[in-house]
Amino acid sequence: MTDSPGSPEGRATIVVVERDPHVRVLETLFLTEAGYAVEFADDGAAALEKARQLRPDLLITEIMVPKLDGLALCRLLKEDPATRGIMVLIFSILTASARARDAGADAFLRKPLAEQKLLDTVEQLLARRRDTSGGESA
Amino acid sequence: MSEEQRAGIPFTGVDEDAEPTRISTGTSSADRILGGGFPAHSINIIMGEPGTGKTLFAQQLVFHNAGDDRPILYVTTLSEPLGKVVKYLQKFEFFDESRMGTAVIYEEAGTELAEKGIGALVPMVTEWIGRLSPKIIVIDSFKALHDISPSMAEMRRVVHDLAGLLTAYDTTAFLVGEYAGDQMATHPEFVVADGIVELLRHETGMRDDRFFRVRKLRGSSYREGLHALRLTAGGVKIFRRLVSPEKPRGYAIVRERVSTGVGGLDEMLGGGLWRGSTTLLGGPTGAGKTTVALQFTLDGVRRGEPGLYVHLEENPTQLSFLVEGFGMDPESPGLHLLYHSPVELQIDSLVDEIFGLIRERGVKRIVIDAVGDLVTAVRDPQRLHDYLYALSQHFAVNGVTAIVTFETARPGITGGYSIDAPFSHLSDNIILLEAGIAGDRTHRKLRVIKTRGSAHDPTVREVEITSEGIGIL
Repeated sequence: MTDSPGSPEGRATIVVVERDPHVRVLETLFLTEAGYAVEFADDGAAALEKARQLRPDLLITEIMVPKLDGLALCRLLKEDPATRGIMVLIFSILTASARARDAGADAFLRKPLAEQKLLDTVEQLLARRRDTSGGESA
Repeated sequence: MSEEQRAGIPFTGVDEDAEPTRISTGTSSADRILGGGFPAHSINIIMGEPGTGKTLFAQQLVFHNAGDDRPILYVTTLSEPLGKVVKYLQKFEFFDESRMGTAVIYEEAGTELAEKGIGALVPMVTEWIGRLSPKIIVIDSFKALHDISPSMAEMRRVVHDLAGLLTAYDTTAFLVGEYAGDQMATHPEFVVADGIVELLRHETGMRDDRFFRVRKLRGSSYREGLHALRLTAGGVKIFRRLVSPEKPRGYAIVRERVSTGVGGLDEMLGGGLWRGSTTLLGGPTGAGKTTVALQFTLDGVRRGEPGLYVHLEENPTQLSFLVEGFGMDPESPGLHLLYHSPVELQIDSLVDEIFGLIRERGVKRIVIDAVGDLVTAVRDPQRLHDYLYALSQHFAVNGVTAIVTFETARPGITGGYSIDAPFSHLSDNIILLEAGIAGDRTHRKLRVIKTRGSAHDPTVREVEITSEGIGIL
């Protein structure tokens, strides 16, 4: 699943930063079923590299990930004009919506994974990205 | 990012579940015992020996929560075949055939797990989640899965993995099993469980008493102890164990006297009984306890105070004759006669019924005739003590004036005062009656032993029973 940037099939690309194997399996199930191209990263540093390289439409990250935590990753993406347009969803076990907002994230969702909530949020963020960038890559 | 930088940028998301939503059991008493139900998104164990009602409890919960949103998944394993479970289920009122296959989905996992081994469990549950998005998952029997696990170490690995999956996904899980109490320390599912409830069955003489108990409920308060349980056509019915009311004694006590309806007795008591007090009325058979208690009840009805007479010995026909003897129709508004056979008496359900009548009918006077039958219905003396204490506290807080009769051994009051009724030190007032034969007449006597918060006439007084009832001479 590496259809990005500018997936030839026109599918939105999502980078997911997640270490919990069960959450990864379920996110794969629900996001690919919904028609998105999904890329995984094991830690924040790898995710930053992947985001700069792939310019995905959306990055979903847990806060507690190794090397670079999800909030620091979000700040770095939003500070860089080249990656600022990537939508960031903080999806965490922590009660941290205020900190996510302060880090510049576009949305926050608390775990556990509720597929309809996740898919609705993803769809809203992608629609917002289309509205603000005219569908251009970041 | 500063507030200025963020201004105008939309953000969605809030921190949820400060107070978790609850999954109702489908029985209101069990929900109240659990502090509102099982916390949503938790892993729970429903345990109990065979025949205690575990599967029925689980099925009732399932059908109660079946709706038009996400379905509920019920997985049978290696104990009862699916067909047998469903056949049995159709006998209960909560069963709704129209929900089958849509809102409630049954899967049989035993055959595949027996072939592939316990390691196939988590991939199977993952597949069900992906395909069905269940809001509740029940696995019945989970304990039976131990039989196909090659070792406890392997079972521990699978349970850990399953807990990870069930924690990652927005669902509430119930693992049903025929666990014995000591298996809580050895079986790994008890370590990952957020909630554990147990259904029990005890032999009491010739009958079985069933109970419900919460063993663990992470992150939630609950009412401890054994709560009576009955299996009915409507499903599992649970009666909350009686505990003392939250309001302290003395709260809003009305300093008002209530007449006893017995001529001369109010004067002996300093003007009557205090409203909300509990009086122990003791005496041997034939001394007139039921007559006094009935006069007290009917006096209240005549004064517009609804009365409840709980009779555990006198059969309903006999009691109705007695009521008619006092010139009152047993069906009179405000008079409630509640009969329970002492043979089948279960104290929790009786108390539940009494409080229901107090709430619904505005009962102000109550008689329990006789407390000795409660003594024989409860095996544990401490439990009876707690019950009686809580009962009198509830009466006081609700302004219900109570008389509780108790049969004493002869010789009674004139042979030296001795009463060992479990209620004696919990009651506000104690009145003793005595009957003896002298010549060709039965002589009855009455003595007020104790009145709380009031002076009383301590002398032994002769009483007489006439067509008008009992009265002090």
